[in-house]
Amino acid sequence: MKKWISYGILCLLIPTVVLCGMFLFPAKQYAWISLCVALLSCLPVFLRFERKSVSTKRLILIASMTALSVLGRILFTPIPGFKPVTAMVVITALYFGGEVGFLTGSLCALISNFWFGQGPWTPFQMFSWGLLGLLAGLLADPLKRSKILLAVYGAVSGVLYSALMDVWTVLLADGYFNLSRYAATLVSSLPFTAIYAVSNLIFLLLFSKPIGKILERIQTKYGL
Amino acid sequence: MKAFANMHPAVSMLYFLSVLLVCMFIPHPVLQAEALLGGALFCAALQKRGAALRDLGFYLPLFLMVAVVNPLFSHNGVTPLFFLNENPVTLEALLYGVSLAVMVIGVLLWCKAYNEIMTSDKFLYLFGKLIPKLSLVLSMALRFIPTYLRQSRRVSRAQKAMGLYAGKSITDRVKNRMRVLAAMISWSLENAMETSASMKARGYGKKGRTNFSLFRFRASDGVLLAICICLLAVPLIGAAVGITDFMYYPRVGVIQTTPAAIAVYAAFGTLSVLPFILEVKEAIVWNYSVSKI
Repeated sequence: MKKWISYGILCLLIPTVVLCGMFLFPAKQYAWISLCVALLSCLPVFLRFERKSVSTKRLILIASMTALSVLGRILFTPIPGFKPVTAMVVITALYFGGEVGFLTGSLCALISNFWFGQGPWTPFQMFSWGLLGLLAGLLADPLKRSKILLAVYGAVSGVLYSALMDVWTVLLADGYFNLSRYAATLVSSLPFTAIYAVSNLIFLLLFSKPIGKILERIQTKYGL
Repeated sequence: MKAFANMHPAVSMLYFLSVLLVCMFIPHPVLQAEALLGGALFCAALQKRGAALRDLGFYLPLFLMVAVVNPLFSHNGVTPLFFLNENPVTLEALLYGVSLAVMVIGVLLWCKAYNEIMTSDKFLYLFGKLIPKLSLVLSMALRFIPTYLRQSRRVSRAQKAMGLYAGKSITDRVKNRMRVLAAMISWSLENAMETSASMKARGYGKKGRTNFSLFRFRASDGVLLAICICLLAVPLIGAAVGITDFMYYPRVGVIQTTPAAIAVYAAFGTLSVLPFILEVKEAIVWNYSVSKI
């Protein structure tokens, strides 16, 4: 019962924030309101995780997968855009489910930004990476079976990530959602989108097997 | 100088949130300029001079980019300055771009100051009670990262000793880093499982365990908290009754100068330079006591 009340509040909270934003602030602060919404969208998974009883093993597993993703981002700092983070999050999600994937993705965004700089973009990164992990967890069976599907998912997630972050760029630069500006941003960020897509694809194809093996072995060895 | 950093985490968190709230949601030129000024002064006080100058090299181009690019995309407004590809570049759009730039840079500066002040231990102290599991995960992950970085350097050195050199080319560098990362994954997960066994053996999750922290809520924290709340209330009330309404389109509005409006500007101005004043006061007291020795 308590659980449903909190979910209900959460479901009401997002439209409330949007409506408050529309009526209280005459100049329509879309960027900041969408920031609040992005943060609120992460909350259901976080709350669910807090409520359930979770074994210590699982807690530490999430912590170390998050730390490894952050490590990946730090190790590849010299090569802009070419980061294994999405691939790590996706692989984690494939073997440990969507929830672990979401948490790994969003916490990785939060923590790695202690190094790369926190800012208003943090909630968006948290949401984008979390979402990519959650989706990978839902699609785990087909993605594990076919390498082609995995490659496609990697490329699509790179494009999706770039497109989601560009929404934020436009909102921040314009104060509202300007479609022509969005198109221009998408085009100007094409090189980055391409790097994201290609790096995800490469990392997923190269990593999914060896890391998958390690994760499966850990799963059977420690009974996760 | 760390006067503001020594305040109780709850007070500093509330302070940052209130400045950011006004800065983000009340788009009034005076308030935005005050937020930018306060953020810049605070960041300058927190940093060494060289770092502050380097920051200027980053924020100035960003400022120009946001300010100049807006009128190229937005053709609202009634005062055309000149025509570009038969599209009017309007005064209103230009001013709106400038105000956006002021707000964006202001928010970024405050986030920078937040990074300096709200270290991860303060963040965890504040949210540890509220989200115990997530903050445990967060604090463990934060603690793992330096360990992993150290270990990954060790792995990389060992691989070099085995003759797996990395050349200058990108593919070579990528391959090298991937080898290191793959070795790290199995090492870290084995390690993690041992940690979890050890935690279980020491009774993690049992009831009645307490936490240790060094933060104490002192009288000065209470005073600062009260001042913050009072100073925040003024611009919020001002926004509610419409003093801070300001329009750029179709025509740029006028900045109100009624006594009430000036009170709003003064209150938020004081709020945003408060940490800078604290830092300066601390520096003066410090220099005075040093000079007495």
